[in-house]
Amino acid sequence: MSDNGGTASREDVRIGVYVCECGTNIGGVIDVPSTAEWAANLPGVVVSRDNKYMCADPGQNLIQRDIKAYNLNRVVVAACSVRMHEPTFRACVAEAGMNPFLFEMANIREQDTWVHGHHPEDAETKARDLIAAAVAKAHYLTPLEMITVPVTKKTMVIGGGVAGISAALDLADMGVETILVEKEPSIGGKMAQLNKTFPTMDCSI
Amino acid sequence: MVDAARHPKITIRSFTEVERVEGYIGNFHVKLNEKPRYVIADRCNGCGQCSPVCPVEVPNEFEEGLGPRKAIYVPHSQSVPLLYTIDMDACIKCYKCIDACGKLEAIDFSQEPKEVWEDVGAIVVTTGYDMFDPSVITEYGYGRYENVLTSMELERLHNSTGPTVGQMMRPSDHKEPKNIALIQCVGSRDSRYHEYCSGFCCMYTIKNAMLLKDLYPDMDVTIFYMDIRTPSKAYEEFYQRARERGIRFIQGRPAQITEDPVTKNLFVEAEDQGLGQPIVLETEMVVLSNAAEPRHDIDKLGEAMNITRDGSGFYMEYHPKLRPIDTPTEGVFIAGAAQGPKDIPASVSQGSGAASRAARIMAADTWGIEPIVAVVDPTVCFEAQGKKCGVCISKCPYSAISLVPGQGAVVQSAMCHGCGGCVAECPHHAITQMHFTDAQILAQLQALLADKPEDKIMIFMCHWCSYGGADNAGSSHFEYPANSRGLRVMCSARMDQSFIMEAFRLGAGMVLISGCHPQDCHYITGQRVAAARFERLAGQLERMGINPDRMRVEWISAAEGAKYARVVREMNAKLQEIGPEAVIAETEKVRPQLDRRLRHLPQVLNVVKPEKEAEHA
Repeated sequence: MSDNGGTASREDVRIGVYVCECGTNIGGVIDVPSTAEWAANLPGVVVSRDNKYMCADPGQNLIQRDIKAYNLNRVVVAACSVRMHEPTFRACVAEAGMNPFLFEMANIREQDTWVHGHHPEDAETKARDLIAAAVAKAHYLTPLEMITVPVTKKTMVIGGGVAGISAALDLADMGVETILVEKEPSIGGKMAQLNKTFPTMDCSI
Repeated sequence: MVDAARHPKITIRSFTEVERVEGYIGNFHVKLNEKPRYVIADRCNGCGQCSPVCPVEVPNEFEEGLGPRKAIYVPHSQSVPLLYTIDMDACIKCYKCIDACGKLEAIDFSQEPKEVWEDVGAIVVTTGYDMFDPSVITEYGYGRYENVLTSMELERLHNSTGPTVGQMMRPSDHKEPKNIALIQCVGSRDSRYHEYCSGFCCMYTIKNAMLLKDLYPDMDVTIFYMDIRTPSKAYEEFYQRARERGIRFIQGRPAQITEDPVTKNLFVEAEDQGLGQPIVLETEMVVLSNAAEPRHDIDKLGEAMNITRDGSGFYMEYHPKLRPIDTPTEGVFIAGAAQGPKDIPASVSQGSGAASRAARIMAADTWGIEPIVAVVDPTVCFEAQGKKCGVCISKCPYSAISLVPGQGAVVQSAMCHGCGGCVAECPHHAITQMHFTDAQILAQLQALLADKPEDKIMIFMCHWCSYGGADNAGSSHFEYPANSRGLRVMCSARMDQSFIMEAFRLGAGMVLISGCHPQDCHYITGQRVAAARFERLAGQLERMGINPDRMRVEWISAAEGAKYARVVREMNAKLQEIGPEAVIAETEKVRPQLDRRLRHLPQVLNVVKPEKEAEHA
């Protein structure tokens, strides 16, 4: 099918690769500058850099400057988990005018240097493979637009103990209609059963 | 409690359980089951005329069974809402309550459970915890010895609104005890039950000791402990005050409690680590500081909202450090002890935190959802050609795909959660998942297996669980062999069998397919669709001549970093056993068959190898 056919060509793909040292988290295990230098030769890569902390302001500024200076249309960051900083870098490239779905990440910290610290050479080989894979995927990325959905202006808090009451009161004070669901006949939870509470020794209800 | 009841923006739905949660961030539909109270809420004014005439008495759960309640009851005098409820399991249907209620006519024996649907934009889950049942620790005799109680039972005994109006008495003879021993870490920090520290027991035990000293200055109070943990603000000072008050602290976990059958006094046997010798303490009463544990029915709600559980069994947060209130389901937040044992200040703070997370959504008029949805190509879809198929519709957990005459299968983008199950299951390769296209995944595979694939373990990971598990191995620094190469998709359902075959065609030594446990799957039935597929695939690969030991399927949660590391280690050991030569020979042998099976795959450009050697390589 058309989209799966691989329409990207090397001519129109301009990739920037950024390899993060994460202080010593990555930089203390593998040789980050030489990894970045190696990545510069991957197909479609027009600029490849290393940096102490890609997620910090100087790192993000670097990406944004390069997007403009090198006319980048793909960005690959090799750093931590996508669960950690994918939103950070998507926002970063979007601010520089690039579609955030043209960004790709390689996890060379949680899934590499943090688990192969005693085998730095093997960790570096793995980092290169993971970067090459991210660059390979980057060739086939397409710009996407977020799907916008409406928001029902009402919340539900499930459980009427002290945490639930606290959440419900705060939401309600902010003007949000809140339904507090409790499976027992009364709210209050465990706290209602207590006598005085630590460390102030005042009553619980 | 009262503030919540009086707040104009809060509707309390008590005696109500959540049955089902549908929808997505900003647009949840929640099915509630309102249990019958047999009392009409609008008419009951809480006057309490009904209860005294009720002839039935049963143990009151609110009093931990230490006091009675009637079949028509409120749990306690300050209940919110102050509405009576008839316990139909206890009621003998004498209908005396109806007469007592009189003109209010609030009692209605014909009430049925009521199904209610609510539409909400965000959900906060604060379902709390259960108390560990100490009767399973037989050496402590709870349940056998009358004067061995739990900490919550003690709370009710010294509470002025409790069953004894605050009068401390031991159950065996209703006499005020002259001495008492409080035992810490009952069910927690114990590899037989819960390994975790229950967190707030040190403080509540010290508090109970202080309260007893306030009420009965002459009472001899002893606390047996393993370690005293009082790290929060003003807690250490509280502990020091307890020591100054003359509360005795003995470091040592009691091994056994025995009872004098005549006096019903108790003998606590422990090793006093301060003295370095075994001691026996005779005491008139023992209170066990039993641990907090996950709600027994925690899975029911968890599965309804795709909230997974951590290694201790509590709800798992999205990220333990940076997103401790979020869950993997956008728009659903957790707070309080449902996420892990927690004291009151921490629960209140987290409740406020969850409110603030939910308020972000409430403050927005619209919310953006990632467009990683499935898209059908009508030029390929069989249904669009007027032929019968419908496979995708049967595999979609969200009913997001429907048949439109002339267009074939059409995906409703807002309903599609992006698992990719339909994409992998479509027999005609007519569906694509945006951001996880076949071409993108194949390009990654080629790159990962470009060099010495026979030495490598190719790992397919789902975003929510096994990728999280690999991250967890990382943050825990659980080492495993570095010849592993991971590839992430959103759900195991997206792992097309062609990808697995392609990994073998490219010569991978081993292939690990990993995803969520069935109950944790972020896409309801995605894992089950995948599991069935890989069961079929394993047979096919074996028939082709691929050593079945080279493929493994494992369900690994985001909390199971240790398991992830262990599986990779085991697979590496197996790979070493098989050896690279055997892998290469097998790959060559099955290549023609795989070529035939994989003819439909798109060709991807060779974007793998560096175009020129790096200068300092």
